[in-house]
Amino acid sequence: MRFRDILGLALSALWQQKTRTLLTTLGVVFGSFVLAASLSIGQGVQETLERESHRSDRLRRVDVRPKWTGNEADIPAAEVKVKGNMSKEKTERIRKVLLDQKLRFNASGPNKPLTEERLRNLAALDHVRSLVPNTYLFGWAKFNGRTETTSAGSVAPDNARMASRIVVGRFFDRPDEHAVIVNEFLLYRFGIAGDAPEEVLGKTMRLEFRIQAEGFGLGFYLTKPSGNGMTADEAIALDKVRKQLSTSLDKFDLTLAERASLQQAMREQKPRETYVLSEEYPIIGVYRLPVEAETQNRWLDDVDAGVLLPSYTAQGLFFRAPSHAARGLDQAEIFADREENVKEIMQNVRDMGLNAYGMLEFIERERLIFLLIFGAMTCVAGVALLVAALGIANTMLMSVLERTREVGIMKAVGARNGHIQMIFLFEGALIGLLGGAVGLLLGRLAAIPADAWVRSMVSRDLKVDLKESLFVFPPWLMLTVIAFAGIVTTLAAVYPARRAARVNPVTALRHE
Amino acid sequence: MSDVQALPNETAVIPAVHCVDLVKAYGSTSAPVYALRGVTLDIFTGERVALLGKSGSGKSTLLNLLGGIDRPTSGSLEVAGRNLGRMSGRELARFRSATVGMIFQSFNLIPSRTAWENVELPMIFAGRTPGVRRAEARRALEAVGLGERLRHRPSQLSGGEAQRVAVARALVNRPSILLADEPTGNLDSATAREVIDVVTEHVRARSTTFILVTHDEELARTCTDRVIRLKDGELAP
Repeated sequence: MRFRDILGLALSALWQQKTRTLLTTLGVVFGSFVLAASLSIGQGVQETLERESHRSDRLRRVDVRPKWTGNEADIPAAEVKVKGNMSKEKTERIRKVLLDQKLRFNASGPNKPLTEERLRNLAALDHVRSLVPNTYLFGWAKFNGRTETTSAGSVAPDNARMASRIVVGRFFDRPDEHAVIVNEFLLYRFGIAGDAPEEVLGKTMRLEFRIQAEGFGLGFYLTKPSGNGMTADEAIALDKVRKQLSTSLDKFDLTLAERASLQQAMREQKPRETYVLSEEYPIIGVYRLPVEAETQNRWLDDVDAGVLLPSYTAQGLFFRAPSHAARGLDQAEIFADREENVKEIMQNVRDMGLNAYGMLEFIERERLIFLLIFGAMTCVAGVALLVAALGIANTMLMSVLERTREVGIMKAVGARNGHIQMIFLFEGALIGLLGGAVGLLLGRLAAIPADAWVRSMVSRDLKVDLKESLFVFPPWLMLTVIAFAGIVTTLAAVYPARRAARVNPVTALRHE
Repeated sequence: MSDVQALPNETAVIPAVHCVDLVKAYGSTSAPVYALRGVTLDIFTGERVALLGKSGSGKSTLLNLLGGIDRPTSGSLEVAGRNLGRMSGRELARFRSATVGMIFQSFNLIPSRTAWENVELPMIFAGRTPGVRRAEARRALEAVGLGERLRHRPSQLSGGEAQRVAVARALVNRPSILLADEPTGNLDSATAREVIDVVTEHVRARSTTFILVTHDEELARTCTDRVIRLKDGELAP
């Protein structure tokens, strides 16, 4: 028997019962629609995530930070000794909490500081394309005979986001360029308010930072309600007060005991020295403040500082302070040569005793969450199709009963059991293929308004304008929906088909 | 015409049908109901034989066994040189398609298919190409006088026309044996005569072995060369 003939007999049988075929197919249409929609948006969201995260180097980036927990070996045993009479288990639990507290609060510095040598070791790791040190200093800027407080942040020359905010002059060409780019708000504080202050280009600005050594001891701070920091003169004056305090306690209204305890405390803590970093740089550019869209859509690439320095120049300035040389940087960025190597780099960084964070991990976590959500949706679709399949099985069993005589006739004129089975299986498959195709078509049509609605929400709430559709229908997805529907319904037809094949022609021919 | 075991005028050495001690039982083995109780007979190629008997005598059962749509409980059954008892389901299906043609009392046409499509059915299962099928089916229907009714469904045909469609279907694969189970049972006498004339004309023209089940003595005498009587599942003397 030819394939075309089986198909013809199956189509003929379905056509004979148009209403029943239509109702049976509707169940498959619904299940296929949900399946198509969930697969489509699942695939679309994944592709969007990939695309958006590939807009810059974010996926190849690893943020490296030192660990700041203290060493257990540095904690005297007496400070974590548990007093009281209690069981061993409780003693151990209390001891652990005491130790935890000490470790958290006793950290005098990072375990493995990001010193210049360690930065060189990181840059030498396999698959590291580049390393960008991150520095951030607070101090003063001197320009045009005036001094203003400011911050100075490092930035890599290939930071496109920051480069796009240049309003006058240019961005850095090299990471070791001896130059600065100034924030328009700092210039405003210096009294320069024009839209395009080209007159500042080429002029020099002196940056000064007073770096106090790390550790414990007496510190003096002046906070002002206006939010501005101390001026240089105020900082110098307070430093002098701090140094003279230990020898001037008798001038204060203190009891003998109070004076003695303070003197003891100040003796135990060595006074922290202050190192002054000072350097002059030509101004090569001015950059603007972020606009609202940039503020609401901040990325790690953004640097908020009064003055920008190229990354290696900033690093060189930073490490000139002895305390910084020992303490190291708070953060550095590593860029992998390829995404596939990010995990290896992160593991190597962690093996060096440092913390490593990557957008790739975040993206993979997000992907997993989306996969779970869309997996659940696909399961719902699968359940819908299963329910449709049960309906098909029931309907086809009824059809076998109604067509008993017809089956007997076919057998009497030469149909084999296999032929009869194939006819009924084809009927099931045709219902699935038709229902799958229609469900897919409905899914594609419904995706048009749904996509527009979701994208408008994303644009409104997240301020992200997606260029591509969130619902995608690649060929493999369309084939999967139709094929899955066809397979499910064909399987549903197996039992009815076997029942039909087992019909006894003698009995069937007597069937009314 | 003699009505017991007479040989036809044409000499036919090879029996088209050869059964020995054929038994067909229904129901459980502990309490079987016998439809045939050991039938032994030969029917020769080209013979026209009537199986006569009252209702329940086993004649339809015997016809079903000869047509390969049922299997004997015991005994030997050879039709057209093939031992039906040893054939697989697949072989039996091919046998039904190519070697025998069957005509039933209640026509047994598929209501949802046209006359043309009903006649095509045996050729579909025989694997014939669509073009050949359609041509042969048309020819078969024209031969039975239904060239104008190709696209009519059974519900649009009279009893006689429906039975002629069934005759065309039975003969379209040019079987060597034609089996008819009370083909005129549901027809009035005039229509019955028409149908039988069509059948006997084709049988004569092709020297087809023809086995007719009927309870009509007159029909048996006029349409066949030999009568075999059955009673209670056995050959009657």
